[in-house]
Amino acid sequence: MNPYLAAFVSGMRRTVAPGELIVRVGFYAVILVVFAAVWNAAMAANGGEVAGYGFAGILWYIAAAEAAQVATNARMIEDIGNDIGNGTVAIELLRPVSVVGLRLASEVGGAVVRLAGTCALAALFVPLAAGPPPSWNGVGLAIPSLVLAVCCNLAAQHAFAGIAFWLEDAKSAWFLYQKLIFLLGGMLLPLELLPDAMSGAARLLPFWAMSYAPGRLMAGYVEPWLLLLQVGWLVAMVGAAVAVFSSGERRLQAVGG
Amino acid sequence: MLAIEVDRLTKSFVLPSKRIVEAVRAITLSVEQGERLAYIGPNGAGKSTSIKILTGILHPTTGDAQVLGFVPWRQRKELARNIGVLFGQRSQLWFQLTPMQSYKLLGAIYGLSREELERRIDEYGSLLEAAALFDIPVRNLSLGQRMRCELTASLLHSPRVLFLDEPTIGLDLVAKQRFRELIVRLNEHKGTTVFLTSHDVSDIEQVAKRVIVINHGQIIYDDKVSVMKRSLLRTKLMEVRFDEPPGAIDIDGVQVLKSTDMGFKLSVDTEARSIKHVLDELLDRYSVGDISVLDPPLEEVISKIYETPRR
Repeated sequence: MNPYLAAFVSGMRRTVAPGELIVRVGFYAVILVVFAAVWNAAMAANGGEVAGYGFAGILWYIAAAEAAQVATNARMIEDIGNDIGNGTVAIELLRPVSVVGLRLASEVGGAVVRLAGTCALAALFVPLAAGPPPSWNGVGLAIPSLVLAVCCNLAAQHAFAGIAFWLEDAKSAWFLYQKLIFLLGGMLLPLELLPDAMSGAARLLPFWAMSYAPGRLMAGYVEPWLLLLQVGWLVAMVGAAVAVFSSGERRLQAVGG
Repeated sequence: MLAIEVDRLTKSFVLPSKRIVEAVRAITLSVEQGERLAYIGPNGAGKSTSIKILTGILHPTTGDAQVLGFVPWRQRKELARNIGVLFGQRSQLWFQLTPMQSYKLLGAIYGLSREELERRIDEYGSLLEAAALFDIPVRNLSLGQRMRCELTASLLHSPRVLFLDEPTIGLDLVAKQRFRELIVRLNEHKGTTVFLTSHDVSDIEQVAKRVIVINHGQIIYDDKVSVMKRSLLRTKLMEVRFDEPPGAIDIDGVQVLKSTDMGFKLSVDTEARSIKHVLDELLDRYSVGDISVLDPPLEEVISKIYETPRR
């Protein structure tokens, strides 16, 4: 078996085995219940529509945007930073494969399992709370978009975490990254609800590809070009992660692991 | 045929204070294929830095080295397919998986077919007496059990050279002894070259045939272990607690280093008197409550190296 495919399968196994999946899906259920209540009240106060999203559209948006986040390891930047700092990454250099490639494959494997769990819950809860998805074509596009969002997020986290090769700590990078995803990624609100300047800036950055894109598609906006842009950002983020790790590995070779 | 060739290898680190530290200073050595070499020294002597250079993790400042014909820092991935590395304080197994699941992933990493992987898992499981542990999650294994599984992981791709960095650190006496026996058995059965770093004198005595001592980044001793034993490891330490004050201890080859009313620290010249004889005499002549036999600390061995005229 290809080593990266084997790492993907191993990542799936690691996620399925412990109770982590149950905790995550439970947390996701709480998010959906809270957002359903909040948006129900907000829609009632705004004539049933906000920035083109009805209640069903916004709840399906939240379900997809949050699923993409809950499925990824939110503290991965910190974990990778610790692994760089304590020499674990140096030991991984002793394997005849790409360190970042193997790590990414393993994390994607775990995230796909979590994504399946969150999507299954959303498929049960959201129809009861808000009715069926506004567009089945949108759902068809949102599913690959969710996978692209997760992959893009994981690759970007590896690129950000690489700062630990130089600073010996990635906590600051993790703090910054979380805030950027939260505000500019569309995790909390669709980008249309942000002030124009902030929305414009957010669309120039990669973070919207990690939450907003699957949310927008799931909300019934059939915009296939979002998938193409996500693929573009994924290629850029993987390239950045590979470049940062390659440079970091050379630094390890120079100064020690 | 040589497995490892090192020529005037130097590694310097620049500290944040801009001070330059020479961790390894112009080391030259060679290791034959199939040798069991102990590369020992106190903490900070440069052992791990040397291993990291020889496995391709670190780039030397100056000098040359080849391991199995590969330049480690230039051909790291090619070399990785031919060497095994075991760090006593680092795990290469995935904690959430069983060793068997980790081995399957490692098999894919090293491009082994399923049949070949299964054959090797069976072979090393039997050789290292570890097969019963392979389906237990790694997080549930004791350190000694985990080290046997780690060793199996290091060997799955049949490396020709095995680097062991402090593999017995943290193990209890029984586990240490068992681990040493396994390394020797592996070398004898498979002809694997063993490059062992340790600061435990017993690792040298029981595993290696040749010993290199490194201190402050420089090689200060390189000889057969049998020669070292005769010239430098002639003493063992004994800590004895008596049930009643023993008075003077008068046994040939035994010197009292420190004493309180009931507790004595003794040095035994094992060339003059065997440990068995000294134990027998102590037990015959005194009322002994507790006794333990220890190796001299490595620092003491190194002091003797500096005191002994070079050949």
